[in-house]
Order: sequence, then structure tokens, then C-alpha cells
Amino acid sequence: MTALRTAALAAGLAGLLAARVAGQDPRLERLDPDTRIAVAVLVDSARASGLPAEALIDRALEGVAKQAPAPRIIAAVTTLFANLRDARAALGASATAPELEAGASAIHLGVSPAALTRLRVLRARQPLTIALSVMADLTARGVPADSAAAAVLALAGSLRDDQFLAFRRSVERDIELGTPAAAAASSSVRLGAGALTTDASTPGSPRPPRRP
Amino acid sequence: MFERDDDTLTDVTARVAASLKKAVRLDPALDARVMAHVTALPVHRPVGSLGRVWSWLRRPRTLAVSPLAGLAAAAGIAAIVFVAARFGRTAVTPPAGDRTPVEFLLVAPRAASVMLVGDFNDWTASATPLHTAAAGGLWAVTVPLAPGRYRYAFVVDGKRWQPDPSAPPAPDDEFGSPSSVVTVGGTL
Repeated sequence: MTALRTAALAAGLAGLLAARVAGQDPRLERLDPDTRIAVAVLVDSARASGLPAEALIDRALEGVAKQAPAPRIIAAVTTLFANLRDARAALGASATAPELEAGASAIHLGVSPAALTRLRVLRARQPLTIALSVMADLTARGVPADSAAAAVLALAGSLRDDQFLAFRRSVERDIELGTPAAAAASSSVRLGAGALTTDASTPGSPRPPRRP
Repeated sequence: MFERDDDTLTDVTARVAASLKKAVRLDPALDARVMAHVTALPVHRPVGSLGRVWSWLRRPRTLAVSPLAGLAAAAGIAAIVFVAARFGRTAVTPPAGDRTPVEFLLVAPRAASVMLVGDFNDWTASATPLHTAAAGGLWAVTVPLAPGRYRYAFVVDGKRWQPDPSAPPAPDDEFGSPSSVVTVGGTL
């Protein structure tokens, strides 16, 4: 009976180990073993707390594709996890995965979580992905985080998503032409929604591929 | 003779009928006595082939297994769990109607090949090649994307990473070479 008990125990342990390994996303096998364990823990934590784990996997895969060292990959995934958690706290439990990813990018670039919460209030019942992305994109283009947030919040009540993208293009064009980033954002806000030309097609007509 | 017999028969019939019409009084304890008797009877179950199998399955017995056989069984269970989890996973793909075609362009006149890598193809370098769309080194590919925010970059000639000059830069370039960002609107 002792042998039987030992065999049963071994079977149970082997089953648990196999389930643990098999439950891991197979894409993570591209990472070295130590990095894989660290990333898998973060992915599990994200899933357990309702955060978009796919974003963490994507970031790790980006690091592997670019042959980044393991500590840098782990640091990037850890930072993203924290930013996603902050974005969810700011946007609320009903925020979608794209909203959280865009919000995390904005927070990473210095936009305050309070600005995200304010945007949620101003655009209640509307998707925030584009508005949050524009906030992050403008900051990445050099517009100070406070100015980018203020510009998006000022337009939040009046712009559609396609107009937000046109607003971003307008600011980018001004920056490329030499206007200081903060001034480009504020001048585009002053122009208002009416001056923003969009590439939105007539509803119901076939839509051509759009550019990033 | 016949008349007298008829009279007798009529009389008997009348008495029987009167007797039958009387209300029958049962002993109040009859039900309890009957049920006690029924409960005391032995239980008879039909024993068919199924019953014999069930009985065999329930009969305790000692099972002797060597440690080697136990480990083999453990390995088998582990293999089944692993294979089921590894290959039983199904990808959740949004319906094509929820996806927006996004065109990626790069001008690279001297390039022999250009690949698009990003969140949408698990950063697999060979998954999404661009094609030369026109003379002058214009490379293009159109990818249907679900609503979301994606990081991506181009890989030129299999080795040189390059962001999209016409798209917003990714918030950080913590991996050494910068990426770009595309956002697809809509509800998800």
C-alpha cells in the first residue's frame, strides 16, 4: 500500500505540474526560462485581476523580437502591468481592454490618472480608446502631458472619434512645420471641431483602408 | 315449486343487497398494520447483467501497483493534460465585420524585403510581408485589425528595424529600436 500511495502522490504532483506548465501561453516559450517564469506570473496576476493579459504578452514578444536583454523585458512588462492597473483604477471597472491599453500608454507618458477619470465623466457611455490614444500620441510627439490632456479634455464633449484623429493629424502637421508642440496643440483646440477635416466616408459606402 | 323457489331467491337477493348496502367499518389501525407487514418483507431486486457489473464494481479489493507502473500512469496523465491544454486551445478571432482594413506603407527604394511586425501578428517577422506596390520603392500591405491600440515596426531586409515615419511613435523605446502605434476605433 505504501508503494501505491507513493505512486498516487507522484501522479497527482505530475498532473499539477503538467497543468501549470500547459496552462501557460505557448507563445511565452520564445522567452528564456527565467524571463518566462517572471512574465507568466505577471500574466497570471493580470488575468486574475481582470486586466488585459494579452498586452503583457505582446510587450514581452516585442522584447524578444528585438533581442532585448531579459531584465529589460521583465522591467517593461512590470511597468506595463502597473500602468494598466492605474488606468483601470482611473477609468473604472467597466473599461475595455483597448481603453486600458491606451490609458496605460497615456499614464506611462505622464498624463495624470485624474485626467483619465475626467475624460470618462465627459464621454460617459462612449468608447474612450481614440481619445486616450490621441492624448498619448500627442505626448509622444512632444506635447507636454498636461497640455495634451487639457486639449483632449477641452474637446471631449464635442468631437467624434474621427475628428479626434483629425485633430491629432493637425497638431502633428503643425509640429512638423516647426510650431512648438504645446502651441500646436492649443492652436488646434482653438480652431475647434468645425475646422477639422476628417476622412470619414459617407455612412453605408465602402470604406477604403485607412492609414495609421 | 317454481313460485316458492322464486320467492326464496328474491328473499336471499334482498338480504344480500341489504348487507352490501351497509357501510363497512374498518379497524382504524389496519393501515398501520398492513404497512408494518410490508416493511418487514425482504427486498427483492432483479439481478441482471448490469446489476452484477455494478456489484463487481462496488466490491472492495486490493490493487497492487509497482512504483514504476505508478510513475508511468503519472506520466500518462501529465501527457494527456499537457496535450489537451496545448493543442485544445482555440483562438478567439473577432468576426471579420468588426475589423478595419489598415494600410501600412513604407518607402524603401533599396530594400529587398520589408516585413511588418507588431502586436497583431505576435511580433513574428515572417508573418506579414509587404509587397512593392509601385515603382520607386513603395512597399504596402493591408491588415484587418479589430478595435484597439497596436505597436508595430518594419523589418527591412531581415535585420534593420524601422518605425513608421507617418505614424505616431510608441510611448517608449525600451527595447532599443523604436516602434510606432496605430489605433483602431470602434467598440469592443
